[in-house]
Amino acid sequence: MIRLFAKAAVAGLLAAALGAPAFAQTAPIPRLASGKPDFSGIWQTLSEADYDLEPHAGRRDAPPSPGVIEGGTIPYLPQALAQKRSNFEARGKDDPRLKCWALGVPRSVYYPAPFQIFQRDRDLTLVHQFGHQVRTIHTNETLHPTETDEGFWLGDSRGRWEGDTLVVDVTDFNEETWLDRAGDYHSDALHVVERWRFVDPDTIAYSATLDDKKVFSRPWTVDVLLHRRRDKNFQLIEDYCFTLEYEQYYPHKDGE
Amino acid sequence: MQRHVFPALIALVTAWAPAAIAQTQGQGQGIRFGKEVPAIASGSWQGPRLADGQPDVQGHWSNTIANHNNWTDPQAGAPGEPSRAAALPRDQRAPSRVSDPADGQVPYLPAARALQEDFARNFSNPTKPKYIEPLARCAPAGVPKSFIWHGYEIRQYPGYVLLLFNSGTRIIRLDGSPHLPDAIKLWNADSRGHWEGNTLVVEVTNNNGKALFGRTGDFASENVKIVERYVFDNDGKRYNYVATFTDPTVYSRSWTATIPARRYTEADPPDDGWHYEASVANRPGKPVLHERMERICVENNGPFGGGAVGVPLDHPVIDR
Repeated sequence: MIRLFAKAAVAGLLAAALGAPAFAQTAPIPRLASGKPDFSGIWQTLSEADYDLEPHAGRRDAPPSPGVIEGGTIPYLPQALAQKRSNFEARGKDDPRLKCWALGVPRSVYYPAPFQIFQRDRDLTLVHQFGHQVRTIHTNETLHPTETDEGFWLGDSRGRWEGDTLVVDVTDFNEETWLDRAGDYHSDALHVVERWRFVDPDTIAYSATLDDKKVFSRPWTVDVLLHRRRDKNFQLIEDYCFTLEYEQYYPHKDGE
Repeated sequence: MQRHVFPALIALVTAWAPAAIAQTQGQGQGIRFGKEVPAIASGSWQGPRLADGQPDVQGHWSNTIANHNNWTDPQAGAPGEPSRAAALPRDQRAPSRVSDPADGQVPYLPAARALQEDFARNFSNPTKPKYIEPLARCAPAGVPKSFIWHGYEIRQYPGYVLLLFNSGTRIIRLDGSPHLPDAIKLWNADSRGHWEGNTLVVEVTNNNGKALFGRTGDFASENVKIVERYVFDNDGKRYNYVATFTDPTVYSRSWTATIPARRYTEADPPDDGWHYEASVANRPGKPVLHERMERICVENNGPFGGGAVGVPLDHPVIDR
């Protein structure tokens, strides 16, 4: 650890010399024995991203937000914009989240429920409290599969390190998931590049750049912060809410 | 959603056993099961360890006896759907998973026995929602059924053992922290564990009792306390899951289940459709490496199997 602290101290000095806020570098970030940043822990966004990625005033089903998209709005192709508007009108019943289904990527990261990262040198495992989504981000220099039968709900995630930033390339999606509660969506041509970087030991700056030539006219980027859940005794509590309609019949019950 | 209809139909026309789907997929090897339960003694761990001192048991595992068709006569088939082996003398099939008491039966109180038998009688032709085995609705397989339902992966981290099942996930904390409050009852319960030599000992509470143990309707209530002992062989190839169930509202005495499991590695064919749902990682020029496949049940399958109604596919189930 001595070596790592020394490294952080040097980074702090450098940041100070470059005029960056030195306080952001004073606490060393957690690291694995390998020296890579260690994102292990329980994380959650404070942002309103899941309600609507774009800027919006408060409404019945969403608190207000300046939006989390660089440039403000999603660059939909004309036909896709019509689909998004249609989704928005039907959001009260068509959002897949309402069935407790897998939220996909990147929505699962900025959905307002905690998720836990378990990290080894070879991979990161993201266990989400909501539903049953578990994603593996491989960091063992493996590549995307050369062929897949059909797209994945979570895509296929392959990560690499650029300094202390984890860059994750996600492909091979299906077209079933939405991007937020406002009906923003994608096709099976979605390609996501995520960037995960510590701002301080308890905060991750997360960005996701989405490219989808069937839906968007150009790539666009979401930025949110993820905060470490530090509440006393906090732990993930399973939330398999897709069972709610039938769980009343078990064990051996006639229902309510 | 169109593409998902096909596997559901397969299940409807072949059998209402989800395993039947798996047997028709993959490389046609079906489910390979043995009859023997090897003895593995608790003792010291001579195998590899992780940096934090835990025995390193990471990797892919699956049970070696049978799926969840039948809890106490594992190779006899589901109620009303006997296997070919069911016609053989009992000692030519694998023993009951109930290793104590010696008669291999769950020591139910009379009312609980009646509920289990009622389920078994109605399983093959369910006329009420409660007779549908919950896994056919893509419910989490729970404790202990997850250990007899497809292969699964163990991943380990400082302070944690993570179990990634075909249906559901368990996070076992090793930090000695207290269990969740009693009011919280969960499909996969709440787990606190520690290592004793070659044995991972896990205390399981907060179980909602809803997952059942399989198609025979064996069950616990939400009052159950389970102590699991995962006894790993020092050769790293096998382990026995030995779990003691205590629930005075359902059983007349504590009883113990034993489920043998074996490890699957790159020496095994990947994607055999049941025990080992792995694919070959893409890394040209390097040794073969297998990796876990995405596990998404309800979204892909909806309900599978005859009579598995009541799985909402087209309307909200939450308003949060």
